[in-house]
Amino acid sequence: MTAVLVKALRDIRRRRLQVAVVFVTTLLAVGTGTIALTLIAQTSDPYQTAFEAQKGAHLVVDFDGRVDPGALAGTPAAIGASAFAGPYRATDMQFQSGGHKYTVTTIARDNPGGDVGQLRITGGRWPSNGNEIALTRSFADLNHVSIGDRLRVLSVPEAPSLTVVGLVVDIDELRADVGGQQHAWVIESAFASLTTKGASFYQMDYRFASDPTSAQVQAHLTTLRASLPPDSITGSISYIFARTVFHISTEILTGVLVAFSVFALAATAAIVANLVTGIVISAYREIGIMKAVGFTPTQVIGVFVLQILVPTAAACLVGIPGAMVLSQPLLASNSQALGLAYQPTYSPVLGLLALAGALLIVTVAAMIPAFRAGRLKPAIVIANASAPRGQSGRWLRRVASMARLPRPMVLGLGDSAARPVRALLTLLAVVLGVATVVVALGETRTFNEIYSYEGHIGKVDVVVAKSPALADAAATQLIASQPETRRVVAQASANITAHGIADPVNTLTFRGDSAALGFLLTSGRWFSGPGEVVTNGGFLQDAHLKVGDSFTGTVNGSALKLRIVGVVYDFTAGPGGHIMMLDWATLAASVPDLSPSSYMVTLKPDSNVDAYVRRLAAAQPDLLDVQVASSGNTAFLSVIAVVLLAIAGLIALIAVAGVFNTVLLNTRERLRDTATLKTLGMSPRQMIAMVATSGGFLALVGGLIAVPAGVAVYRVLFDQLSNLGGNTTPPSFYDVFATWELIAIPIVGVAVAIAAAAIPGRWAARTNVVEVLHAE
Amino acid sequence: MSELVRLTEVTKVYQGGITGALNGVSVAVEKGEFTAIMGPSGSGKSTMLNLVAGLDRPSSGTVTVGGTDLSKLGEAGLARFRRDHIGFVFQFFYLLPNLTALENILIPAQLKGNVVPGRARELLAQLNIKEVADRYPARLSGGQQQRVAIARALINNPTLLLADEPTGALDTHTGDQVMELLGQLHRTGQTILLVTHDAKLATRHAARVISVMDGKIVDDARLESPERAASEVIRVRGEEVSR
Repeated sequence: MTAVLVKALRDIRRRRLQVAVVFVTTLLAVGTGTIALTLIAQTSDPYQTAFEAQKGAHLVVDFDGRVDPGALAGTPAAIGASAFAGPYRATDMQFQSGGHKYTVTTIARDNPGGDVGQLRITGGRWPSNGNEIALTRSFADLNHVSIGDRLRVLSVPEAPSLTVVGLVVDIDELRADVGGQQHAWVIESAFASLTTKGASFYQMDYRFASDPTSAQVQAHLTTLRASLPPDSITGSISYIFARTVFHISTEILTGVLVAFSVFALAATAAIVANLVTGIVISAYREIGIMKAVGFTPTQVIGVFVLQILVPTAAACLVGIPGAMVLSQPLLASNSQALGLAYQPTYSPVLGLLALAGALLIVTVAAMIPAFRAGRLKPAIVIANASAPRGQSGRWLRRVASMARLPRPMVLGLGDSAARPVRALLTLLAVVLGVATVVVALGETRTFNEIYSYEGHIGKVDVVVAKSPALADAAATQLIASQPETRRVVAQASANITAHGIADPVNTLTFRGDSAALGFLLTSGRWFSGPGEVVTNGGFLQDAHLKVGDSFTGTVNGSALKLRIVGVVYDFTAGPGGHIMMLDWATLAASVPDLSPSSYMVTLKPDSNVDAYVRRLAAAQPDLLDVQVASSGNTAFLSVIAVVLLAIAGLIALIAVAGVFNTVLLNTRERLRDTATLKTLGMSPRQMIAMVATSGGFLALVGGLIAVPAGVAVYRVLFDQLSNLGGNTTPPSFYDVFATWELIAIPIVGVAVAIAAAAIPGRWAARTNVVEVLHAE
Repeated sequence: MSELVRLTEVTKVYQGGITGALNGVSVAVEKGEFTAIMGPSGSGKSTMLNLVAGLDRPSSGTVTVGGTDLSKLGEAGLARFRRDHIGFVFQFFYLLPNLTALENILIPAQLKGNVVPGRARELLAQLNIKEVADRYPARLSGGQQQRVAIARALINNPTLLLADEPTGALDTHTGDQVMELLGQLHRTGQTILLVTHDAKLATRHAARVISVMDGKIVDDARLESPERAASEVIRVRGEEVSR
């Protein structure tokens, strides 16, 4: 054993460059894997911790304001809740702060405590009089509202002002940065002045003895609905939905990270296998001598595996703790979003798991070629001194010769395929590296595309939110009177109850040319008249309906005969959520006071959007919120994009290391040929060109395979993302790459590979012919 | 005859001065000469050849070939110089294993940007190895490989043909054939500088034998001159060896 160790350690000292390649590639791969593992392991922790600490509600239900509060008092017992809070009175309240207008759900509540849904005050204090309000911290952070700021309430004619006195974390509502209307709290005595007649509703929080399943939550909702008059329930949020939305960015990130980790480890395994093969080939005579002096085949294998395992272990010792440290900001963001004091967490088990995984993969990768060393016959290898030369690549050279390429290039092309296994392993590393870059680029662009799509970017220029205090006719007239206005689509929302769907379905109704808003349909067509409805895929799935089916919905107690004509690609409903879209006329009959909440305005070409926004906002400063159409807050997308692109860059670096390694092995193995060629008059430039061609060609082939492969993987991942929203991806959404990019990616890969190959190329050019040929 | 190669006070020291391969050697070779450099292993004969080929640089002194001072050339310049003026034949042939005989022969020409398959086939025929044109080196005998190597060395019509122990890896019969071939080339006007440790071989074909010992020229015999017979050269070398 000592001999094996001594020999392996001596070899490590001798093969410093190869050791460095193993160290760097393993470091990058194990780092990526550890980040992914850390995120997976920690995904549910902060939310669960906060949920328990704040006695989060398993089910939050909004009830129509006309329901008898006394009837609501009996609902916890009806569904077997172990604790409850409410009914709280609530209303949608629009307010202005710093020139911007916001809508929040304001809840009347005298204290933040209670048996269910405790609110964690992270800044300031709880409101103590009628002029004070508490906001969720995530909303305040996102919109730069601070304690002490005064908010002007626009949704009631008196327009009272409220002072922000507290910032709280509410575990039962959706993340502000991902979506969802945020909550605000005032004391009960202040509530009446902040709502208008018929605009308030009740909210109740239910908690059960143990965490209910999704089906159980739905069953409880069904029971609730049955115990109350029709249309009493206007909305609900389950803790499962809130948790999913909370973790959505982490989940997306984790999914892609896992895929990337697999890529990185596979690329590393390919490089290690390649490297050990190269070492075995170059140490042919040495292997014979080792055997001659008494090394057993197993010990020979041990020497080769050990000299790879040592740098691998070193890379793990640096990479695993390093990656755990790098993961902390991502984990911290989740905890901080929940107002939890973040304690950096390091899991020794996780570290050991990553270490064992890396060592196992590298050992297997190293052992396969090392077996070859173990099986070599000493007499033969000592006599032959060197391994048989790679003889493949002749056909490639022939083709290149026929193409009349310069001789150094012809020779380089032949060298690239001289050892087919080596070439294939290198190709694997290149394919993985380039494909990862393609996937990362595609995914990050898709996220932005989705946000742009949801924001109607390119279809709508200005979004005007109307206060309920302003009449639709006045707002419409004002917008229409602007000379730049080309098209206005009014939008209102309502809740429609549908058979088979527990919650009332959020329904968007449009007035005007809604087809021009650019909603993408995954099947069917856009609605063209009353009674026709477009839904998301999740609705069809849960309601067991399909395009062409008719069903009866209920709104305000009125039955609506609806026919599904299309399926819309939608993320606003969230994972497992439902949405319907229909024509204004469909709802108008059943909802007489239907009034738009917003207007989506498209301007004439070359209009000055900013001037338009300023003018329209100035015309109704209190009752209209006029904003340039935007894709909303995409901060969390930026984080995902940075992480994905950074990791893709690391994996691409592994691929570059793979090319470098292969070219280095080829160059070292062909030192005699190199010296001969120099003797025959090959210039240093020709030598570099030859070596660079061998690396560049592998990168080119790898790139040509990787680009379509990367696009295919990207599509699979994107489809999974679409599935989160119950969607089928519309073909146009796949189109995130420009043709020139798909061409440029392999070209850039070739350029990088040539640059990497130029280093061994330079060494080859500097080969001392006399020494090499003398050594022979 | 005009002078083709000149070494002036050339010294070559390896390994930081521990080993001296050449010590102040000065010698000239005329165009059209068949010169043999003889000496035991480690005497510095191959170093001389490498310096003339521009494969190595002297520690001091100058090497001039065809009027070109090699010390003034950079790596690329030396490569061009070799390509244009030098043909090199090695003891172990050093054919590129992945190329056929014909492709091997063509390499120096292709590095110059020339496509001369006709000339390559001519050489194959001249060297009696026409039938091996499309064979890979592994499928050639030692003698055939050396002939291919000679053809490769001649493809660019070199001014100077350098041969480093060209028969060292061949049996006697094949070695004789190769030397006969070099002799034929010389008779057509090719300047040849041959390195060998075999005195009989040197004296049989070369017109001039330079004996090198411990990095110094200890004898320079022109065999065509009546005062120096081949046997004398052998005697000189024998004395040097026995010292």
